[in-house]
Amino acid sequence: MILTAESIKQIKESAARYPHRKSAILPAITIAYRQVGHLNDDIYREISKIINIPQSEIAEAATFYTLFPKQPVGKYLIQVCHNISCALMGADSLVEYLEHKLAIKKGETTKDNLFTLISVECLGSCATAPMMQINQDFHENLTPAKVDKILADLKAKG
Amino acid sequence: MADSTKIETPARTVETVTFTINGRTATVAKGTTVLQAAHGLGITIPSFCWHPKLKPVGACRMCYVEIEKMPKLQVSCATEVTNGMVVFTESDKVKQGRRAIIEFTLLNHPLDCPTCDKGGECDLQNLTFAHGYDDSRFAFQKLRKIEAGVPSTFDDIKIGPEIVLNRNRCILCYKCVRANKEAFGEYDLGAFERGNHTEINAAPGQQVDNPFSGNLVEICPVGALTNTDWRYKIRVWLTDQKASICPFTSSGTNIQFYVERHKNRIFRTTGRRNDAIDDGWLSDVTRYGYQIIQSPDRLKTPLIKKNGKQVPATWDEALAVAAARLTEIRDKKGCVCVGGLASPSLDNASLYTFNKFMRVAMESNNVDYRTEYRRLPSSLDNPYDIAASQAFTIADIDESDVIVVIGSDLVREHPNEYLRVRKAEQFNRSKVFLLNPLSTKPSDVAALELVHKPGAEEIAISAICLAAMESGWASGVNADDLKSKTGFKKAADAAGACGLDLIEIQAVARAIAEGKKITIIAGELVTRSREREAIGAALCNLNRVFGVDGKGQMAILARHANSVGAARLGLTPDLGAGFAGALKSIWGQYPETPPQNTDAMLAAARKEELDAMILVGVNPVMIYPDREFAREALDKLDFLIACDLFETETTQLADVVLPLAGWAEYRGEYFNLEGRLQSAEPGIAPLNEARPAHQILESLAEQCGSPLFAGMDQRNAEMEKILKVDIRRPWPTGLIEVKPQPQETAPERTVALIMGDDPHHSGYLTEKAPSLVGFCGEAYAELSPELAAKLKVGAGDSVRLEAATGKIIVPVRVSEHIDNDVVFVPRNFMAAPVNSLVSRKQRVDWVKISKVSD
Repeated sequence: MILTAESIKQIKESAARYPHRKSAILPAITIAYRQVGHLNDDIYREISKIINIPQSEIAEAATFYTLFPKQPVGKYLIQVCHNISCALMGADSLVEYLEHKLAIKKGETTKDNLFTLISVECLGSCATAPMMQINQDFHENLTPAKVDKILADLKAKG
Repeated sequence: MADSTKIETPARTVETVTFTINGRTATVAKGTTVLQAAHGLGITIPSFCWHPKLKPVGACRMCYVEIEKMPKLQVSCATEVTNGMVVFTESDKVKQGRRAIIEFTLLNHPLDCPTCDKGGECDLQNLTFAHGYDDSRFAFQKLRKIEAGVPSTFDDIKIGPEIVLNRNRCILCYKCVRANKEAFGEYDLGAFERGNHTEINAAPGQQVDNPFSGNLVEICPVGALTNTDWRYKIRVWLTDQKASICPFTSSGTNIQFYVERHKNRIFRTTGRRNDAIDDGWLSDVTRYGYQIIQSPDRLKTPLIKKNGKQVPATWDEALAVAAARLTEIRDKKGCVCVGGLASPSLDNASLYTFNKFMRVAMESNNVDYRTEYRRLPSSLDNPYDIAASQAFTIADIDESDVIVVIGSDLVREHPNEYLRVRKAEQFNRSKVFLLNPLSTKPSDVAALELVHKPGAEEIAISAICLAAMESGWASGVNADDLKSKTGFKKAADAAGACGLDLIEIQAVARAIAEGKKITIIAGELVTRSREREAIGAALCNLNRVFGVDGKGQMAILARHANSVGAARLGLTPDLGAGFAGALKSIWGQYPETPPQNTDAMLAAARKEELDAMILVGVNPVMIYPDREFAREALDKLDFLIACDLFETETTQLADVVLPLAGWAEYRGEYFNLEGRLQSAEPGIAPLNEARPAHQILESLAEQCGSPLFAGMDQRNAEMEKILKVDIRRPWPTGLIEVKPQPQETAPERTVALIMGDDPHHSGYLTEKAPSLVGFCGEAYAELSPELAAKLKVGAGDSVRLEAATGKIIVPVRVSEHIDNDVVFVPRNFMAAPVNSLVSRKQRVDWVKISKVSD
């Protein structure tokens, strides 16, 4: 079992809240993602048994949402928006700068397992472009200096 | 393939709406979509994702129409007609819209039509010619989905035993995924990822191998799903279509063969949608079963036993030997010495010719078509046959609000009716109740599933009757009478005796009492039971208590393609005075000899009181519920003629073996379980030297000196007269005594054996269809996880199943859908003859089960 007793309990509790069983899929995968940090077929199978919904339906919902990583990622998942507004405001060079700072390519994880860098579609913060999301937090109006500070803070936190 | 344009209106709607389409005014039922209404008026609207039997989704946008007062084009498949609506389907705006949709649909489509197997019957190809144009503005690289590390041609991946997926060709109409979920209730296929990257694929770690998987290929509008059976063998335009019906199911699913005439070969089977029967869905057995006809193992010539060895012979030789010996036996010792068994899957002409051959040429009443059942009644006058002869309409399942399945593993026995039950639940919110000795599909949609002790069917039914009486729902039935007839004082006692909760029994009783339209289906688990008459009596009482005949239908369904025809054409040994009289008046003679059924014939043969038998398309050694008994009996015969498609354990015992033509090789007529007469065109001419059964029997009769018919016209005229005899028996007006048989208690360390068909097989011939073997190639023992843990076995291990009569060793399949005290073994595999574990005397076949250690 990958899911802990606590996650299973939370999934069951949230499932009980909905009149339709299928509504429980998204809360369930969110709970699993928060515990594990990513999702995979084994996790879908476990959720499927807990909320009694076919595994394929769980997988369909989970793969639809790109914000759930499907492979293990570092402690901090850096998602840089590369859509039109951010691109105009220099998202490309922002990615390049991050690649250079972290010494990894886009899609990779640092050796210390601290950072994973990816670029994603619009995160809905065009007014503050360029921007990125690290785990649950937005970092906006980015400049190289700002990025340096953010990375340094996170590294210090460990 | 363009879907049929039949107009489907939601049931029970009387309200209508009037609208205008392309300048024509029309009135349709409220709730009809624009697309359905247009098709009903003969106006074609192109579409990819719409399917007449699925809920609309509007995924492909191809069915755009212009509707006045609506600013944008609308998808006609998901727009309901309203009063005063003005629709245009051929305006410039619509044409432009379609053209744009085709351009978008082709965005990532590979345009590999020359190497694509769908070419010639591809919706995308056809609609591009009709509505697209010859250029695209999308001049950049198309997105290609390639499976990393899987070497394949054209990016194909195999996602099931019969299905090949090419994700690049997929246009995401979702028809396959929707059909799989909505119509079949299967979840082995899904749509994953999002946007440009969306792909249809097998569920993680699974294969698409559900019993209806072939339909997914048939409804694919492009070449994304193709099946290994058909692909790259022939182009569709080189084939002719021949209308046939399925010989493996009793509903007579409508199918068509794709035939290449010069090669005399069938290349595939698809549906020939008939809404009254099959809704256009085929089970895989129906779809791939045709392959048995073209099996290289078919018998090629007649065989005659010479010095204890079967050697090939010509038809003339074989028929001469057979006729000489049969006449000799008939004349020397009197007619009781010849018996005959015919398959209930044969066509009407063959069955009738068989009947006349036995009763006129052989002067014997030893005629039967029920070879796979034990302790058969000889005549039709018993509660079981009353319940089995009731009228039943498949399409009525759709509208029933309460459906009860008693003693039937529906998906394994009646795939069409299984889908109907699912459809009723899905579209009509019907309540489904299952009452079986093991958990069966469709348990996922059942309101309640009741699993009773093995061998307690009639007690469970009586419990429902008693519960209704106690709650005051059984008006007009005398309470004391019911108690004495069922043998129980209280519903609780009966419920306890069959191992069920009274509350569950009451829930079923309440549903039947309150239901407005009822369908009660009983099946093979009843028919196979030794106590089928007691169960039949309980069903008669159920009808009386609830008045089912007044508000719905209840029947024990026939299992074979022409079981109904066999009964109506008089293939039961004791026909009763009326039926026998009718035959006598047609034939001018009728044998006086005592009628013997299958059991009696085999018993007589064993005692050497029966000298000769003729078997047409039956294999008693494989299907009679007591293998050794049947083998010994046939072995002791002086003379045995076996007609079959293949060499079997039975034909090996025969003195003369005659190669039989299959249903796909000659024209035949069949009655389905509703009594609907359907005809099947020949797909190909008989292979090798095979001949249809009626032809064989006619030649044999002629050689025996008693020709049966002056010609086909005479035969048909006689059949017509016989079919006028009504063998339906009305439900009894009073209650019948159900003699509950004292339950045999389970001997120590045994489980109840339940045998039946694997969902991908039917009978003993489908093992010759390579595609079906690809789904399931060997017998298995289906066990509950608990029982498996107790035996310390898992997948990959084998178990030994032992009974007094024999033993078999089969691999284990652990299933969460089976109970701890039963084991299911399919009866379709010659290598593991499960009928060697059953005895004709037992009601429940208890078997010892143990792990086989290497």
